[in-house]
Amino acid sequence: MQPTFSVIFFTVSSGAGFGLFALLVLADFLKPAGGLGAGQSLVAGALALLLVAGGLVSSLFHLANPRNAWRAFGRFRTSWLSREGVFAMAFFPPALLYTALAGLAPERWVPVRHGVGLLAALLAWLTLFSSGMIYACLKTVRQWHTPLTPVNYLALGHFSGAMLLLPVAQSGGSQADFYRYLALGLLVVAAAFKAASYYRIAGSGASLTLNAATGLIRGQVRLLDAGHTHGTFLTREFGFLLARRHAVWLRAAVFVLGFALPLALLLRTISAPAGAGAAIAGLSTLLGIVAERWLFFAEARHVVNLYHGAQRG
Amino acid sequence: MKLGLVIDLDVCVGCHACAVACKQWNASGITGPLADYNPYGAEPSGVWFNRVRHYEVGEYPTSKTVNFPMSCMHCEDAACVTVCPTGASYKRAEDGIVLVDQDKCMGCNYCAWACPYGARELDRASGTMKKCTLCVDRIYDPALAPEDRQPACVLTCPAHARIFGDFDDPNSAVSNAVRTRGGYALMPELGYSPTNRYLPPRETRAIPTEGLGKPGLKERLKGLVNKVVRR
Amino acid sequence: MNAPIQFENHARQEVKYTTCYMCACRCGIRVTLEEGKVRFIQGNRNHPTNQGVLCAKGSAGIMKQYSPARLKKPLMRKPGAERGSGEFVEVEWDEALVMLTSRLGRIRETDPSRLAFFTGRDQMQALTGLWAQQFGTPNWAAHGGFCSVNMAAAGLYSIGFSFWEFGAPDWDHAKYFILWGVAEDHSSNPIKIGLEKLKRRGGKFVTVNPVRTGYSAIADEWVPIRPGTDGLLALSIAHVLLSRELFDWEFLVRYTNAPWLVVQTPGEPGDGLFLRDEAGNPLVWDMEKESLVSGMQAETSPALFGEFAAPDGRPVRTVMSLVAERYLDERYAPASVAEECGVAAGTIERLALEMAQVAFRETVEIETTWTDCYGRKHDRFVGRPVAMYAMRGIAAHSNGFHACRAIHLIQMLLGALDGPGNFRARAPYPKPVPPHQLPENDLSVIRAPSTPLLRPPLGFPTRPEDLVIDAEGNPLRIDKAFSWESPLASHGLMHMVITNAANHDPYALDTLILFMANMAWNSSMNTGSIQDMLRQKDPDEPGEYKIPFLVVVDSYHSETVNFADLVLPDTTYLERHDCISLLDRPISEPDAAADAIRYPVVEPDRDVRPWQEVLVELASRLKFPAFTNADGTRKFRDYQDFVVNYERSPGVGFLAGWRGKNGDKFLKGEPNPKQWEAYIENQSFFAYHWPEHMKYMRFANKDYLETAAEAGFIGRPEPIVMQLYSEPLQKFRLAGQGLYDGPMPKKLTDRERLARYFDPLPIWYAPLEQRRVDKAEYPFYALTQRPMMMYHSWDSQNAWLRQIVSQNRLYMNRAQAERLGLREGDWVWVESHNGRVRCQLGTMEGCQEDTVWTWNAIGKQAGAWGLNPDASEATRGFLLNHLISELLPEKDGERRITNSDPVTGQAAWFDLRVKITKAGPGETGAWPEFTTLRRLPGDDAERPEVLRWDVRGNSEW
Ligand SMILES: Nc1nc2c(c(=O)[nH]1)N[C@H]1C(S)=C(S)[C@@H](COP(=O)(O)OP(=O)(O)OC[C@H]3O[C@@H](n4cnc5c(=O)[nH]c(N)nc54)[C@H](O)[C@@H]3O)O[C@H]1N2
Ligand SMILES: Nc1nc2c(c(=O)[nH]1)N[C@H]1C(S)=C(S)[C@@H](COP(=O)(O)OP(=O)(O)OC[C@H]3O[C@@H](n4cnc5c(=O)[nH]c(N)nc54)[C@H](O)[C@@H]3O)O[C@H]1N2
Ligand code: SF4
Ligand code: SF4
Ligand code: SF4
Ligand code: SF4
Ligand code: SF4
Ligand SMILES: [Mo]
Repeated sequence: MQPTFSVIFFTVSSGAGFGLFALLVLADFLKPAGGLGAGQSLVAGALALLLVAGGLVSSLFHLANPRNAWRAFGRFRTSWLSREGVFAMAFFPPALLYTALAGLAPERWVPVRHGVGLLAALLAWLTLFSSGMIYACLKTVRQWHTPLTPVNYLALGHFSGAMLLLPVAQSGGSQADFYRYLALGLLVVAAAFKAASYYRIAGSGASLTLNAATGLIRGQVRLLDAGHTHGTFLTREFGFLLARRHAVWLRAAVFVLGFALPLALLLRTISAPAGAGAAIAGLSTLLGIVAERWLFFAEARHVVNLYHGAQRG
Repeated sequence: MKLGLVIDLDVCVGCHACAVACKQWNASGITGPLADYNPYGAEPSGVWFNRVRHYEVGEYPTSKTVNFPMSCMHCEDAACVTVCPTGASYKRAEDGIVLVDQDKCMGCNYCAWACPYGARELDRASGTMKKCTLCVDRIYDPALAPEDRQPACVLTCPAHARIFGDFDDPNSAVSNAVRTRGGYALMPELGYSPTNRYLPPRETRAIPTEGLGKPGLKERLKGLVNKVVRR
Repeated sequence: MNAPIQFENHARQEVKYTTCYMCACRCGIRVTLEEGKVRFIQGNRNHPTNQGVLCAKGSAGIMKQYSPARLKKPLMRKPGAERGSGEFVEVEWDEALVMLTSRLGRIRETDPSRLAFFTGRDQMQALTGLWAQQFGTPNWAAHGGFCSVNMAAAGLYSIGFSFWEFGAPDWDHAKYFILWGVAEDHSSNPIKIGLEKLKRRGGKFVTVNPVRTGYSAIADEWVPIRPGTDGLLALSIAHVLLSRELFDWEFLVRYTNAPWLVVQTPGEPGDGLFLRDEAGNPLVWDMEKESLVSGMQAETSPALFGEFAAPDGRPVRTVMSLVAERYLDERYAPASVAEECGVAAGTIERLALEMAQVAFRETVEIETTWTDCYGRKHDRFVGRPVAMYAMRGIAAHSNGFHACRAIHLIQMLLGALDGPGNFRARAPYPKPVPPHQLPENDLSVIRAPSTPLLRPPLGFPTRPEDLVIDAEGNPLRIDKAFSWESPLASHGLMHMVITNAANHDPYALDTLILFMANMAWNSSMNTGSIQDMLRQKDPDEPGEYKIPFLVVVDSYHSETVNFADLVLPDTTYLERHDCISLLDRPISEPDAAADAIRYPVVEPDRDVRPWQEVLVELASRLKFPAFTNADGTRKFRDYQDFVVNYERSPGVGFLAGWRGKNGDKFLKGEPNPKQWEAYIENQSFFAYHWPEHMKYMRFANKDYLETAAEAGFIGRPEPIVMQLYSEPLQKFRLAGQGLYDGPMPKKLTDRERLARYFDPLPIWYAPLEQRRVDKAEYPFYALTQRPMMMYHSWDSQNAWLRQIVSQNRLYMNRAQAERLGLREGDWVWVESHNGRVRCQLGTMEGCQEDTVWTWNAIGKQAGAWGLNPDASEATRGFLLNHLISELLPEKDGERRITNSDPVTGQAAWFDLRVKITKAGPGETGAWPEFTTLRRLPGDDAERPEVLRWDVRGNSEW
């Protein structure tokens, strides 16, 4: 699929936002090294909310008929897109309340804060999971149709969240080692799952062929004529084909920018906390994840391409 | 009822009449108009509900050419309906026809992603998704003569390669065709249970040629005795 | 919940029945209108031709009716502007007609043959032919000459009907069907309907075609023949049938000239002609009476084989003996021809035996009593259910006439003609072989000012005396039809008109009228030089063109319109009265004689007039006798009045239905003033269903022959004897050999061609152009095919159809392409002896290895057809025509000869050979490029970025 910027920005930013918020609430419970200061919680919470909101707004851009967008919550029962919308909307009130309480009245209504915090974190996970499931539930795109897809969304969400939480944690002068180890841990998990999904895609897997798509079995089937000289909605929407050599190069970028460089920088900040190591790592992570998300869409091969002559799905 | 189409690949000559008749009927039909982009310009394209593709099976000189019309299969397990967030995409309980309610669609393309058969196309002018309606505005129209209550593509097909009917009725033309000709669904393993069926090309009938005539006329020509034929 | 489904508001709609003209198959259409605009066009279920179906073109009529390419008003070339510059001024109809009438009047009063009037696929030859005859010019034809005259002539000189328009396979009974060289043809819907019936009933469908697309895609067996060798394959099949005595004795003896005796006196006048009695009857040897008797006489038992002596002692042999002797020769054995045809010997043998098996052992019987022309009663028709059909794959070669006769030879051997399950005639055929109609060739009549010709401009010569030449043997027609170069050119040579007129050879024209023919583009060979010829100035007449005045009658902005001095805009097929007459190319089916009309179902929103009306108007103003009363007043008010009242012979007019005072007579009857209304009430068509006993063996069916004579289809109710051996051809051969007591050609080239190609029995020879071109340098055969969804150049203007195909590729066999290092999508140079083009390559399996092909007429000149100049038809589409020359490659000492069939003058489009090389880097886009056509004055039509057509009006128009 031709990856569009609005889709990439939406998924990366809201992913990071939900991840950051969930970790913020966790940190509030576990209080590692005394937990974050009110100011830090406020900044982290607001940043998370901002990222989530930014992501949701951008999702409107690739609607061809936005005036019906309000209906997008209607099919909660069957549609992951509806569910994502509902959970995302439900997330805002408790998340706002939590951030306000944590940032402005850290000592008061602590059980209330913890309650809404947990609720918001739960909704964040559900939203992230839904975002992944939107793609994973499609039997038409082999590369997406796997449990690894939602897992990747969750893992990358939390990893990018952790990378945003780290500079916030460092800023208050309080002990940030927990957050460094947290980011490291999530980095390794995210990298592992990403590697697993790339491995799965690279494996031949039971991909459909043009013979199967047409049910013609007496010999190899080839496209003679697609029935239209120029493109159609189908070829424009699904016909984008990423050359294998680009895919390899891009995957390398994902791992270098997304994982290797941040790993090195994080390890350095552990030994020498001063300096902008964390910020650079955060930036590198974001770039890596944008590349990952671009590749996620670019490598998707919709089964309809078989009918336009692709030999394998 | 489970309404749908049977396409006979043995006789479809790939003339595109079904695709154009569909475009003609539906341009002023219930989800019309169907946008045509750059119609008189460099690269014309537009919204079609039915597209005919042409394939070849095997190698020269024994290759077989197969013409392959495709429109919505009106699947029983239509993921295009379940994924749609707005409820614009729906499947009618009474006859299984899958439609898009143009007043509800927000044009997110998600249903097109969920359709393995490429049966949905976004109309950029109206911002809504459009698809084969199984000519629901013809097949139930009491003002039309019974024999005309057929989809436009079925009526127009010069090779009578398209049959419309109820797959739930074992005696319907579609059921009979599927039974007698081994009609098959496309990519059943995807689990969509598409209703439309395709009839594979028929086997060629062998013609005996033993013991025909009396060889060696050339040699016998000289002394040939004419057969007596009275005029 | 979801909105309920809205049905059509039928109260606002109206249904009218008329005839489609998105191609020349002329299907019956049911047009639903809403507030005068076309809502939906579908097939008319009751119409004999299409029985309710429509093709893609027919279903896209709306986008032709509202096309931006429609002409709006008469145009004159702007004074001072060069022809071809496309600079016009709008003129009123009255002014245009006054000017045209005076010019035509001047021509008619001096030398009528200075007017040439040639038409395309207009289906109106009965009217245009009559008009030309009444004007007095022999220079008229439709475009059959470059279309498929080989099929028409071969059929009408052999079996009395033809593959071209006058016959159809019996789809209800056929069990074996061979299709030779057909991609779509005129009766395209009937063939599709028929193929499904054939396959459903278990019949086998074999296609002989270098390309496996369209009909051939669904064939049970594909024979990928090498182009131009079908005649050889057919004669090899005849060899197999003959060698095993697999032929129908009764059919050959009773219904063909197989038993007729042929004089064998080589080197002497009269050699090869039939032995005839004093009354002129051909003689046969009666085995029981052991004497010569008339071949037309009943109660005889003629010998099929044998050598005998004429009363004067000259040796004579039966036609069948000559047939057997020739085709049993090893030259025609499958093994000998396999390599040339590219078809395995075993396959040829098997195909012949399969035909014989089905013909002789799987007969079809229709139990109906009938009487043959010899008075014998039969209780059934016995059909040899092997049906065949053939068209331009056979026709469009310089050996096509003989190839088609070779196919008819197989049908005659099998007795598979006009019987149940085989190839049957369509009324008004069969007719005598050849039809009794000779072309006007009396110089004094032709030169006589203001005098109609006594005979029609076209006909069927039977001997050199019938040619249209002067005393010195020079052609009298501008296209040299019926000259020594093209003796049996029964449809004329439209593809030579512009070339000959520009060269003033045989003479100069004053005015050329082109109606419904795109001669400056896809209808001409050598398109580029044809455009140059139209621009060519006359050195002897300063300021004049070699072709002084060009009138183009078209409905749309075609490439040819751009060259006109006067453009007369016609209506669309939904806006005019028209009739599809039995006097022209009938829409009859084998089971029913039929004709049809069109009438306006939509009001034209432009200042346009039907050409039919203009012809009647011009005829009246020029006082043609047939259009003028004795007192000099005009006889016909308009075209409708003409169709109702004109009688070609007493009781026989343009329309056969609802004749007679009160409309109760059919086929023949006095004019019925309410005939148009009767047609409109009956869904615009009339069908006369033959009774069961008149449906078959009509060449010898007593009751049918009597009805046909009564209806004026044939002169007298006499049997129509099929001609295996063609005496007319032999007469021309004798003339070539200098052995004919009558006109003979003076030029050596003509004598050689007559002697070689006018063999009375079918022969095969390598196509002419291919013998003058180095096969090694030009290894590929190059062909075109009809795309099912477009009609010639007419449909690139169609916004819907254009989305299916708006660029053509040159297709090549995939393995062959790989051998040449070429791949799908490469830009390549394609070169012939006559020119070169650049285009994109396509690869496929279903294409014979030495053949390349492309879709016909997709390439367009930029700016034509209402398209933007950057349309892919102009930037990437191409015409193969640029590579094809209308003249054969030059041979020293020989005048330039037409690149056509030497017998009929049929244009040999598919004899082309080319070489193909990959284009260099950066060499992309179609070449040659032509200047971009200017928009015509008055062309205010919208070309929207997004078209949202909807009959209820919010179309972006
Ligand atoms: N849709 C549509 N229908 C049309 C027309 C159109 O433009 N569009 N044009 C109309 C007109 S004017 C005509 S004349 C008819 C023509 O109708 P067709 O007779 O179908 O003519 P072509 O399309 O020229 O196709 C010629 C066929 O013969 C094959 N062929 C070429 N050379 C040889 C050969 O040497 N041997 C054999 N066996 N096959 C060969 C080609 O592959 C092709 O399939 O169609 C009419 N109908
Ligand atoms: N390379 C190659 N060239 C070929 C052929 C081939 O097989 N290969 N086939 C040849 C054959 S068989 C034929 S028949 C010719 C094409 O046969 P033609 O009849 O010459 O068809 P066109 O060239 O499209 O020209 C028809 C013209 O009529 C105009 N027209 C359409 N409708 C109407 C109407 O209602 N009224 C009037 N007045 N005009 C109208 C169209 O706009 C167009 O300009 O092509 C020939 N050219
Ligand atoms: S109209 Fe009939 S024959 Fe033509 S492409 Fe469609 S299904 Fe095939
Ligand atoms: S073919 Fe596609 S659009 Fe039609 S019901 Fe099935 S999934 Fe939905
Ligand atoms: S494009 Fe329309 S019909 Fe399709 S999923 Fe989105 S809202 Fe539903
Ligand atoms: S059933 Fe109707 S809407 Fe569907 S493809 Fe056929 S004509 Fe089009
Ligand atoms: S074959 Fe098609 S274009 Fe030709 S008359 Fe019939 S419906 Fe019209
Ligand atoms: Mo033609």
